Amino acid sequence: MSARSATFGRRGCNGMARPVFGRVSGQGSARARRGAVTHLDRDRPLVEAARRDPERFDALYRRYLAQVYSYAYYELGDHHEAEDATERTFLAALSNLDRFEERARPADGDAASTFRVWLFRIARNVVANQRRQKRRRPTLPLEAAAVVPDPLDVERGAALRDEAAEAWRAVGRLPADRRRAIVLRFVEEMSTAEIAGILGRSEGAVRVLIHRALRSVGRDLREESR
Amino acid sequence: MTLPGRDAAEADALLTDRYLESLLAADDRRAADAPADASLDRSVRDAATRLRRNLVRVHPSFRFEERLAGRLSDVARSMRLAPAAGGGAIVAIRPPRPEGPAGFDPLADPNDNDDTSARTRPLLIGGALTSAALSIAGAAFVAWRRTRPARSPMARAARAAHAERLRTNLRGRVG
Repeated sequence: MSARSATFGRRGCNGMARPVFGRVSGQGSARARRGAVTHLDRDRPLVEAARRDPERFDALYRRYLAQVYSYAYYELGDHHEAEDATERTFLAALSNLDRFEERARPADGDAASTFRVWLFRIARNVVANQRRQKRRRPTLPLEAAAVVPDPLDVERGAALRDEAAEAWRAVGRLPADRRRAIVLRFVEEMSTAEIAGILGRSEGAVRVLIHRALRSVGRDLREESR
Repeated sequence: MTLPGRDAAEADALLTDRYLESLLAADDRRAADAPADASLDRSVRDAATRLRRNLVRVHPSFRFEERLAGRLSDVARSMRLAPAAGGGAIVAIRPPRPEGPAGFDPLADPNDNDDTSARTRPLLIGGALTSAALSIAGAAFVAWRRTRPARSPMARAARAAHAERLRTNLRGRVG
């Protein structure tokens, strides 16, 4: 492998085509000599601990459980199926942890986690597979996800639930790739770069996907409110 | 799409992306909205604020969380081989693969493992139908040509020669 291909646009199991930067440290010097890289990644200590002792995977599990579950729930529209997908995702992540490679860039900042991107790629595959098997699409209004500000303010709670159901119906009508991008951006609060890594697209393509999705949702919501 | 059209779409998408960044950051400041570029499409902005308000994270039940934690812990324990007598090393072994259809790889490239099968299937079926329709149309055309009397003298002569050759061959085989 040439020096250029070793440092730019590498695609491993993470599949993230992005430049990576070398930062030689005592521990990573052998990798650095081979042209590999060390990175800044928020989850590095937890990942390394889990690699040394699989039982330490629990910390990563607790950190990302709600995010993975939430993503699966928005994709599948059913609590039981979301639980099933979440379980498969974490089991696959634990058993394949040795295949994970860090790909964070210093430009991504301290909050960057390529582990999260890797985990969500697994979740995305598991969910896509589950959807194919069940041959169904999410049609639930996601009432459970509606914001209930005050249990005593029933009227406002109902209005917000209706609003949430309306918004979800508009999102549910989007093509799969646009819907996924919207869920990852709004529910999981991921950056464009992270979503690009998960969907296997360029950042520019993800931006256009989200922009078009918002235009469709805006149109739908306007029509529904008439 | 033309190049200027594509550039315009990317520029609009970039504006939207910047607005979303500031919208998500506004949440940290507990602000309801964020400043937006004047050229940002109003419907895009409205849709973004609406989705920001309505698409919230859903949490699993505590019971599920603890059950899965227990299962992961069991799998993690099975990955650690008990140190052999006299040895202190920990050897990692692969845990049982999570259930799934045969050949399913959760780490596969998303482009290879997407809903694309649902999109490509109609294309395959359409291709097969088109191919069959072309074959039937071809056979019908040949049959029609054979039964239709030839117009030009050259075509009539060619058909007569062909029929004569067939008759000769048939006589030779019978005789």
